Amino acid sequence: MIPTQTHPDVPPLASPFEPKIVGFLCNWCSYAGADKAGAAQMSYPPNVRIVRVMCSGRVDAQMVLQAYRNGADGVLILACHAGDCHYLEGNYRATQRHRMLVRLLAQFGIQEARCRFDYVSAGEGEKFVRVVSETVEAVRALGPLTRPSAAGE
Amino acid sequence: MRTGVYVCSCGTNIAEGIDFDKLREELLRQAGVAYVKPAAYLCAEDGKRFLETDLGAERPERVVIAACSPREYERAFMQVLERAGMNPYFLQMANIREQVAWVTPDAEQATRKACAQTRGAAARVRLHQPLFKTELEVCRDVVVIGAGPAGLKCALALAEAGRKVVLVEKSPVLGGLPVRYEDLFPNMECGPCVLEPVLGEVLHGPHSANIEILTLAEVSGVKGYYGNFQVSIRQTPRFVDAEQCIGCVECIPPCPVSVPNEFNFGLDTRKAIALPFLGALPNAPFLDARACLRGTGGDCTLCRDACPVEGVVRYGEAVRTDERPAGAIVVAVGFGLYDCRSLPELGYGTVPGVYTSLEFERILASNGPTSGELKQPDGSAPRSVAIVHCAGSLDPRHRPYCSGICCDYAFQFNRLIEKKLSGTKVLHLYKELAMPGKEEFALYQHARSNPHSAFVRYAPGGVRVTGSGSGPVVEYEDSAGNRGRAMADMVVLCPAVTGAEDGGGLSRILGAPRDRFGFFEELHGRMDSAQSRIRGIYLAGACQAPMDIQRAVGQGVSAAGYVLSGLADGRKLEIEPITASVNETRCSGCRTCGSVCPYQAIGYPPEGRAASVNELLCHGCGTCAAACPSGAIRGNHFTNEQILAEIEAVLA
Repeated sequence: MIPTQTHPDVPPLASPFEPKIVGFLCNWCSYAGADKAGAAQMSYPPNVRIVRVMCSGRVDAQMVLQAYRNGADGVLILACHAGDCHYLEGNYRATQRHRMLVRLLAQFGIQEARCRFDYVSAGEGEKFVRVVSETVEAVRALGPLTRPSAAGE
Repeated sequence: MRTGVYVCSCGTNIAEGIDFDKLREELLRQAGVAYVKPAAYLCAEDGKRFLETDLGAERPERVVIAACSPREYERAFMQVLERAGMNPYFLQMANIREQVAWVTPDAEQATRKACAQTRGAAARVRLHQPLFKTELEVCRDVVVIGAGPAGLKCALALAEAGRKVVLVEKSPVLGGLPVRYEDLFPNMECGPCVLEPVLGEVLHGPHSANIEILTLAEVSGVKGYYGNFQVSIRQTPRFVDAEQCIGCVECIPPCPVSVPNEFNFGLDTRKAIALPFLGALPNAPFLDARACLRGTGGDCTLCRDACPVEGVVRYGEAVRTDERPAGAIVVAVGFGLYDCRSLPELGYGTVPGVYTSLEFERILASNGPTSGELKQPDGSAPRSVAIVHCAGSLDPRHRPYCSGICCDYAFQFNRLIEKKLSGTKVLHLYKELAMPGKEEFALYQHARSNPHSAFVRYAPGGVRVTGSGSGPVVEYEDSAGNRGRAMADMVVLCPAVTGAEDGGGLSRILGAPRDRFGFFEELHGRMDSAQSRIRGIYLAGACQAPMDIQRAVGQGVSAAGYVLSGLADGRKLEIEPITASVNETRCSGCRTCGSVCPYQAIGYPPEGRAASVNELLCHGCGTCAAACPSGAIRGNHFTNEQILAEIEAVLA
């Protein structure tokens, strides 16, 4: 069972930092994997807001940056496993873009752990829960994303 | 913009975990949301009726349904919108069951997450554009390339369904390779006997009028797309009118020219005018213009003089290229064998007496170079035959896979050798054995019970064939490291099955890619192996993967099924509107989109510099939209604006 942060018997003295995370899930594998976790009623931290796209290859850097700008502390991009992409190779494009993106983010001072890429198949409800839980923990440990006061808005 | 939000309680599934009143209160603050209504079971017939009636009464411009996963009922709710007179794409679902209520035990947290997800849906749906399925008139004829078992069965199934089929075969003969085999595994039926009923149906059956057979023909160009291809077919003349020819073959003996017979892999010769082999269909000789004396300026007419039917031999024919319209194309061009010259240690081409399995099939065949007599070139019977399984297979330096058919035919060889020359020693050298199937094991058991058989499992690279004065010598190292040596009068190599030798050219013409082994690449290895990656181009038989006749024929019929359901009678072709589209004024023509599109759906018309998306080929993944550096490509229903609005709202 994955430990969750819910149901504390004793209210904490100061409420812990709850990160906001945007999860981009491809329709065919990882979104279905999330549904699978749901069907199995596995509980996991509620911090991830799910945005469905048809293919992980649709996720462009602009969307990830927008998530940070709008208050996300982390981003999760989930794709079909290598060779399993419903659109044949969109997931390869997504990995390529992610690799490029983390280098770009580093220049903004955004740690790599705030932008996780992983593969979750339609059957991998448990892996989905694990990846979400790990990401939430990793971002929680990093603390809130601090944006420069003059963020160029 | 009036957005109506419906929240399904899903019985207690959602209602128990999420506070509806809070959700409504929060959603009503969201721009555009006119009302938020609860519903019990929206997916039930009652629920859908309620939704339809309520949409009629409320007349919202956009609809959000917060319920289960869109993967469950989105299609059904889209139909309700349509019945209510709305564009079905004015709907967005928020998944508050699988992704919220069922996974978030704390009601307050669940409600917060449900609010966020539903807000995202409401923000996004405001930006939804009306989308429409388009319909296209299509041609229902089909071009089938390759007349082996897969292509024949495909053509026949289509013809039986009333479709016009053009069957394009590059050789002068129908039936592919198995029609040249003496016997077929697993039941030792004769190859021509198995194929002939199918050939009979194709040539003379009740639906044969629907099949146009073009032999000595190749597809030389393809224009257009699924539903409306124009296929150019280049046909080399046969110089013999196959319709009028009575098949007496009187024309052949007088011919003064002999050339190596490619139908027997060069093991004997044929005349310039020839039948590929006895019993070949169509039962009419062909004249090989490259070999004929007339081709080099001579004026020989011996074959025409010998022909008893006036006008059958026609020297005046020329190469012709014809166009045929087709809604779909089926590729059934068969396989090749791994070139054994790339395995020099096995002696093929250097040591006399070493044959490939296809050559050996012809030596065993009654209509082959030895009339089915198992003998060596000097006429003597072999005392021993070594069969090397896995030649080039299971070897990352050559082909890493198992072809899955070689063991079967190798044990069929064992049976035939024993039948033809009882007492001949047969040595099977193999890396692995694979004979799956409900009938296939019997031949292996026969081989095991043949007292003249021996079996050696060899280590990779552990077989070496060298020549000696008295025939090939096989040296081997078995999997336990023991070395051995055997004299063999004949060595038969069972090479890895590969893609068809000339598949590359066809792949380029069709735009249907091949995999790294030269096989045509399927859309999905398990669910859609008879579909290529290009819509409207289907795959049948061993051009897609190594396979036996049973599977090839099954795929041929399966390809016919795809054609019949995709281009159904009396129906236009529907094009889904979730595709990409290009804003031509923003497009710089950099072609990045084309390089990332897995379906070759993006073209660059010569008249403009802008990219253009073919909606028929586009599957709507949006990879091009993400790749476009100028933001000139819009992924319909998943536009940047829609996704960015959703991101902003889920984080608010």
